[in-house]
Amino acid sequence: MIYKQIFDIVRQQVQQNAILRVTDNAFIPFDPDNTDYQAYLKWVAEGNTPQPADEGTQ
Amino acid sequence: MPYGTVNADLMTTSDGVSSSGLYGFKNRIINGAMVIDQRNAGASVTQVTGNTYTVDRFYIVGSVTSKFTAQQSSTVPSGFVNSLKITSSATTSLASGDYYFLAQLIEGYNIADLNWGSANAKTITLSFQVYSSLTGTFGGALRNSAQDRSYPFTYSIPVANTWTTISITIAGDTSGTWLTTNGTGINVVFALGIGSTYSGTAGAWAGSNLVSATGATSVVGTNGATFFITGVQLEKGSTATSFDYRPYGTELALCQRYYWKIARGTSEPYGITGNTSAGNAIWSQFGLPVTMRATPTVTIYGTWVVVNTGQPTVRGASSTNFLLQIVPTATGIATAYPDSSDDLIDASIEL
Repeated sequence: MIYKQIFDIVRQQVQQNAILRVTDNAFIPFDPDNTDYQAYLKWVAEGNTPQPADEGTQ
Repeated sequence: MPYGTVNADLMTTSDGVSSSGLYGFKNRIINGAMVIDQRNAGASVTQVTGNTYTVDRFYIVGSVTSKFTAQQSSTVPSGFVNSLKITSSATTSLASGDYYFLAQLIEGYNIADLNWGSANAKTITLSFQVYSSLTGTFGGALRNSAQDRSYPFTYSIPVANTWTTISITIAGDTSGTWLTTNGTGINVVFALGIGSTYSGTAGAWAGSNLVSATGATSVVGTNGATFFITGVQLEKGSTATSFDYRPYGTELALCQRYYWKIARGTSEPYGITGNTSAGNAIWSQFGLPVTMRATPTVTIYGTWVVVNTGQPTVRGASSTNFLLQIVPTATGIATAYPDSSDDLIDASIEL
């Protein structure tokens, strides 16, 4: 699985409340009840790091 | 003249008509008649090692990929329109840690009145209809969210390729933790082949993770074996009452609390457009048809037609709506809309 940070073009910063799952382009909100978010947290806990956001693009 | 008796859970008239089954939402299983299939629209789904949804609310999973498929079917017993068909894709021998099953996760809110995990735990009855090319003793189980409480059960299919009605009454679990929140309340499992690690004694609660009864028939053990199921109902009480036929719209709305999909259809029923300067965002809000269980994962599929912008992205989501975004490449009008049946959006917040 590959994840990528999302750039917030309005605030001009990386979104702090969601991540993009690159394999299927899924927007995963940071909601503890979301099993995709739980899977992301597990992936991070295993030592992985998401790809950085493409700054300046949506 | 006596008119009947009343207790806390059940009213019975003098001629024996019971209130059990007459009140709303008696069936805690959603889509038990297998009629809603938002994701697949009747197409076959191949089992993998992660939970994969077939008809709405029912998922399949296995320890090794591609050992069986699942598909909405029109092979049905009297009174039903659909069933779910399982087809074994190989002759699979089971190692001790192997597991292949079909299941539904019931939200905790929908089983809160059962008082499981307390001395006042209520008895439930699980009923369904099955049809298989195999005969024998089959298995399944109920589990809690933490998978440290489980109840294996068995049922018999005595005649091949004949619909058999099954009813299993289970005394509620007085131990363990059973969530009554928007998390998993009860996991109802129909086993299709389970190794010894996850099999146990039928008819008793266990403090471990079991999904079938020891010695149950393995559907995946026979290449080409079929197993159909429909009319799945889990209700309070010790009697299986008639299947709770809910209106199609009601059943669909119940499913959409966990999954929702909008398809393009024959025209462009949705899209996003606006006029602004280059690099600024244009948003389009989509309301979800029912409040979802929690904030869903939102996915945009396909390659949309775009004018003066890149592909649309999701900017934000909540349990009631989400926001799409495009950013004009140059100052002026920017537009994005779906152009094929593969261009769609879904929102998923399964348990």
